[in-house]
Amino acid sequence: MSASSGTLSASLRARGRLWQRLTDAVGRWPASVRVAAGVLVALVAAALLASIVAPLDNTAVDLDRVLEGPSAAHLMGTDEVGRDLLTRVLHGARISLTIAAAAALAAVAAGTLVGVLAGTLGGRIDAVLMRVTDVFASQNHFLFGVLLLVLFRPALGGAGAVMLAVGLTHWPSLARIVRGELMSLRERPFVAAAVGGGANRRRLVRRHYLPHLLPAVGLAFVLTVPHAIFHESAYSFLGLGLPAHQASLGNILADGQRSLLAGGWWIALFPGLAMLAAAMTTGTIAEYWREHLHPRWRSELEL
Amino acid sequence: MTALLEVEGLSVAFRTRRGVVQALSQASVAVQPGQLLLVVGESGSGKTVLAHTMLRLLPRNVDVSGSVRLGGQELLDLPPGVLRRLRGRRMALIPQSPASSLNPVRRLGGQLLEAAQARGLTKQQARTRLRELLDEVGLDLDVVGGRYVHQLSGGMQQRIVNAMALVGAPDVVIADEPTSGLDADLVDTTAAQLRAISARGAALVVITHDLRLAQRLGGRLALLYASRIVEVGPTAAFFAAPAHPYGRELLRALPEREGKSIPGMSPQLTALPGHCAFADRCPDRFDRCTQTVPDLYPLPGGGLARCFAHAER
Amino acid sequence: MLKLIVRRLAVLPLVLLTVATITFALTEISPFDPVAAYVGAENNVSPQRQAQIAHAWGFDQPIYERFGRWISNLAQGDMGNSVVAGGQPVAGEIASRASASLALVGGALALVLVGGIVFGVLAAAFRGTVFDWLVRTLCYFNTAAPSFWIGLLALYVFSIELGWLPAGGSSDPRTVDDGGVDLDHLVLPMVILALTQYAWFTLYVRNTLLEVLREDHVRFARAQGIGEVAVLLRYALPNALIPFVTLVGTHLAELIGGTILIESIFGWPGLGLLSLKAALNEDIPMIVAITLCASVLVVLGNLLADVLYRVVDPRVREASP
Repeated sequence: MSASSGTLSASLRARGRLWQRLTDAVGRWPASVRVAAGVLVALVAAALLASIVAPLDNTAVDLDRVLEGPSAAHLMGTDEVGRDLLTRVLHGARISLTIAAAAALAAVAAGTLVGVLAGTLGGRIDAVLMRVTDVFASQNHFLFGVLLLVLFRPALGGAGAVMLAVGLTHWPSLARIVRGELMSLRERPFVAAAVGGGANRRRLVRRHYLPHLLPAVGLAFVLTVPHAIFHESAYSFLGLGLPAHQASLGNILADGQRSLLAGGWWIALFPGLAMLAAAMTTGTIAEYWREHLHPRWRSELEL
Repeated sequence: MTALLEVEGLSVAFRTRRGVVQALSQASVAVQPGQLLLVVGESGSGKTVLAHTMLRLLPRNVDVSGSVRLGGQELLDLPPGVLRRLRGRRMALIPQSPASSLNPVRRLGGQLLEAAQARGLTKQQARTRLRELLDEVGLDLDVVGGRYVHQLSGGMQQRIVNAMALVGAPDVVIADEPTSGLDADLVDTTAAQLRAISARGAALVVITHDLRLAQRLGGRLALLYASRIVEVGPTAAFFAAPAHPYGRELLRALPEREGKSIPGMSPQLTALPGHCAFADRCPDRFDRCTQTVPDLYPLPGGGLARCFAHAER
Repeated sequence: MLKLIVRRLAVLPLVLLTVATITFALTEISPFDPVAAYVGAENNVSPQRQAQIAHAWGFDQPIYERFGRWISNLAQGDMGNSVVAGGQPVAGEIASRASASLALVGGALALVLVGGIVFGVLAAAFRGTVFDWLVRTLCYFNTAAPSFWIGLLALYVFSIELGWLPAGGSSDPRTVDDGGVDLDHLVLPMVILALTQYAWFTLYVRNTLLEVLREDHVRFARAQGIGEVAVLLRYALPNALIPFVTLVGTHLAELIGGTILIESIFGWPGLGLLSLKAALNEDIPMIVAITLCASVLVVLGNLLADVLYRVVDPRVREASP
């Protein structure tokens, strides 16, 4: 009895310490970053819990209340078939954020793979990989993405094609960053020690490089998400991305464009505000993080 | 006779991310017309800050207290317009590194003319005066004017900034490290040019860490250590018999004397001790030295020394 | 410098070949079936007819033959035919729309340069004041806000609500269509396109200017008694803008990409709208051709930037003795 309560209190104490460390770290953040983090958490929570949080059914068409402005009953108004806009925006935000996160993940994964290959294998492979990276990097992101969408949407579906498009257009800068980090890591004494101890390449990568690269990769991911949100929304807005039944914020904005002439400005305003909030909050946090850890990345990430 | 340029109780501190850097503490010097004042100290001791403070060329993150007076007029609270007219005309600077002090992307002719016209000269007058000054040091305005800074040698660059300082016939010339990076024969030429400036009647302040140059130039000498002036007096007297232990150790470190370098390191300007800053390295220290900061005590030769060893007199 | 230009231009065909190869590979890898797309959902098109179409387009030939033929066509300027109604040559379509996009991009670039320099200089000069904070905050908002959202809002406010500016197209449909462009139709799309690049440039000017203002030569100019305005405009600004020239190359590419969104919102008849229509119609030859043209522009843009840098910076232009 006493033994189990001993371990229970020990684990509670450990959690208390972790909590303390967390609150200490947050306390060090400047006010702007704390606000941004708070808003972002609220936004993500609202989006993820859209089905629970949203006031009305996402598909509830109400033809009596078509194109009504914001009111007490419909905080963001209704769209051209009477659906509650707030509900639509919440669901749209969930889809946008999910797709963007997945797309950013794809880009980071591809970039890290190429970067690690180039950095560890070196020599001619490195040179070839870097030239390929250059060619991809010189493409205009958007135009190239459009081409990819047309080619792959019939097979992969809207979401899959968008992830491919974002992934293939954004991996070059990430590859360069990872390769650069790897290059500087290789100079560090602990690597020389490991090599001296007889570690082969695969072991080096797994046990020594990856753990040190993870924070950098994490930051790169957070920095890519706002770009992914923009791209996905833009593609969907143009009708090249997600289909209407999987409406992201971009799709809703396309509806907004159509209803502008009828005076329905709110349909164009609110989804964009959600995107703005997402971009600004992730941007603020990521900038602060980057200033602290990787000031050298400034030029590389002018994506 | 009131001094032409008078610095009194000047303290300059920089607010940086690493903390407060105390560059100068309670510095007081004075220069008369035709007189030469040497400000000597190691790099990072606060010498250049003194030069920049006199002309109010400091960045925004500084705290300045004390007084800098030119001909009796307080400079530290002058409005910007008045200050601008004073720079170049009454007080001129010869900067520490001429290569980076001239605009690298503009031809020199334009810069020289603009600088001269800022002194109130017309274009014609400016051209004449510049031609004269450059002639004296063997440079042709027409040739040099068409060049860019990076196309000239270090010696030519130095001669140009020297000439620019003299365009307005200023009362005070401040030369910041005029011989750093120059070969021995160029040092000779520069020393001669400086003496010539002094001979014209201007008050000359020369900031340097080159002790041999200091000895050659003569005049009066102020020794800076860790943001404080630790000795003032005639240069000759300093080199004959330095009063402050730091000065003594400095001279002993010269290759032509004992060549014995001073043990230890000077304190960081972000963490100055509350006592004599040289005490930790001083071979003659006693208890009082590690307790409070000494004042400047008068010396028999007419100078001052910040050392308790001279307190009795 | 001539050597540099020659060297860079020599690389251009190689880059294009690489891009073309990658593009071709992508079209091959993708499960996209152009024949199926062309015949659409009609399922009364017999397999024989489909095979006929495939044969006419050369799809039954081996891959390297098709690639070779495509490349040789490209080299002669034939970029294939559009699969959209009429089957017009792609090159001709692109050529006819290019000037409209050029006007848009050129105007936007000019706005970015002028606006960025003016506000960047003012923000640096009045650093720390409310004005500076306002400029920086607006730039920050601008970077985070999606360009097409801003475009929609601007369209609503200035065109639909206030009626100051037309709602789209390049000319008033009620007047005789002489193919010309009405200036008031150019305003909104040009401004919105400029806004996509304006923020980074303004911040760049401001921040570089502040760095340059700390340099030795600025301090020495002040020591000469030269006034603050002259110091800012003649000793700081030119030095700050020189490195910018190399950045123009990369950001020109972004400006070109931005035309797809902007032209679609405002119905501007340029290459961006053409790309969008091609994408919606699954007109692969058209999109591929535009992608290749964009690659050419990017390479040329970078070359121009490098050349300009060498011309503009005297330290590089006239080597030291």
